[in-house]
Amino acid sequence: MTALAVIGVGQSKQAKRREVTIGAMVREAVAQAMADAELTFADIDAVVLSKTPDLFDGVMNPELYLADAMGAVGLPVTRVFTGGSVGGHAALYGAHLVEAGLARRVLVVAYSKESEGNFTWALSRGLPFSVQLGAGAGAHFAPVIREYIRRSNAPEHIGWQVAVNHRLNATRNPYAHVQRPDITVEEVRDSRMLWDPIRFLESCPSSDGSCAIVITGEDDAARAERPPAWIHGMAWRTETGHFAGRDEVNPQAGRECAADAYRQARIVDPAAEIDVAELYIPYSWYEPIWLENIGLADVGSGWKLVEDGRTAFGGDLPVNPSGGVLSGNPTGATGLLRFAEAALQVRGMAGEHQVDGARRAIGHAMGGASQFHALWVVGSAKPGKDRA
Amino acid sequence: MTAESLSAPYTVEFPFERTVGPKIGTFLGGLRDARLYGVRTERGVLCPPLEFDPRTGAETGALVPLVTTGTVTSWTWVPSRPGDPLPHDFAWALIAIDGTIGALFHAVDVGGEFARMSTGMRVCARWRQDRIGGMRDIECFEVVP
Repeated sequence: MTALAVIGVGQSKQAKRREVTIGAMVREAVAQAMADAELTFADIDAVVLSKTPDLFDGVMNPELYLADAMGAVGLPVTRVFTGGSVGGHAALYGAHLVEAGLARRVLVVAYSKESEGNFTWALSRGLPFSVQLGAGAGAHFAPVIREYIRRSNAPEHIGWQVAVNHRLNATRNPYAHVQRPDITVEEVRDSRMLWDPIRFLESCPSSDGSCAIVITGEDDAARAERPPAWIHGMAWRTETGHFAGRDEVNPQAGRECAADAYRQARIVDPAAEIDVAELYIPYSWYEPIWLENIGLADVGSGWKLVEDGRTAFGGDLPVNPSGGVLSGNPTGATGLLRFAEAALQVRGMAGEHQVDGARRAIGHAMGGASQFHALWVVGSAKPGKDRA
Repeated sequence: MTAESLSAPYTVEFPFERTVGPKIGTFLGGLRDARLYGVRTERGVLCPPLEFDPRTGAETGALVPLVTTGTVTSWTWVPSRPGDPLPHDFAWALIAIDGTIGALFHAVDVGGEFARMSTGMRVCARWRQDRIGGMRDIECFEVVP
């Protein structure tokens, strides 16, 4: 079985992008990833598209609509579809195609253009005989966060501090949507309450943006012009959104997804063996929640890593050096952006948000009601022959 | 007791705001000004223009102004219905604009006379008086006088 690697990464600026079409915005990321990999469309064997539901920006079958913009003319195209985690799942699906020997080089593409649609309408539109709550995504997650705070006895300022950390990280990332270099804990604390305990500045924005990566086997990775990001472990797990006894604060699917990836990567002490983590954190409190869920902190103590500054940019376990979802959220691309940031970090190509000496990184994505979980561990060194 | 099915009103919505970008945007703006644009590709000029060549996926090149005459390459005769561009029977046709490859889809007016319609016939655009920047700024195509 071949080793797998990311040899090209591209992304668009995340913002309200009214000046470009969906196709042109997707092409920005595709062209950058292809240039990074020093490949042309003729070198690609398969294309994977990551996208939120069609209603979010109103294009049916975007995998067909974008065939030319993605350079997919004459190639097999697969669309992956798992809620907000979709970009992570698409990356893993692309890697699976190479690993299975079905393709030699796969282009994985992801986007959302949320300025063209109405997210809250799409999530909760009025249908006959069904209740239209229009509560928004935050209203779903807020009670889960309250329960986390109750169990862990975390002080209230943890959420505010995470919001500040991620926004300061974003100032080092020119692609990030939200740019607030002067943000303070007091400003987050005093921002408008949206869904208790989630305040405005503890929430992700709605963005337009795209991301693309090129995945190959070891022969192409060894020949790449720039350092590859080797895939050391990858997994996805899913559970349904509602069932008796479900623990949404610490979902079983997330725990088992991470454990599987660590087992493949031969990681026994994740917090010590991982240099940087790029996690899907749409509301600030999801930093300690996911740190615990994926085993980077003991249950009940994830918030202490925030309190001690360990997950800030200069800390020993930096989280979301790109600025994360809190600083830019083109939902269809959000998961892939996390996976791509992990790859950039171990390639030493993350620019001003490069974590010094990052050799092993986590890319993580979550979707739905914390139902869909995807995670990969990438590294600067080629993994041993017996991954998995 | 009468059997009765439950029913409730439902309005289909399309609450999206499309972005057309500089290439298609210039084409649509041209229609508003009664001008027709095509776009360069390696194969020739496409009208209507696209951002990417559907055959290769390559980015298309510069926009070029076109004449508004062309040749019918294929057509179908249809009875006029409410909302159609013409009040009498007409043809929906593929029209190759002069100087371009491919074809543009639009209505052709031959005064309701089926026998005047033929493949290879020469047509030109008839512009609407009030134009808004859409394909219907061309009311239809008509026989070149």
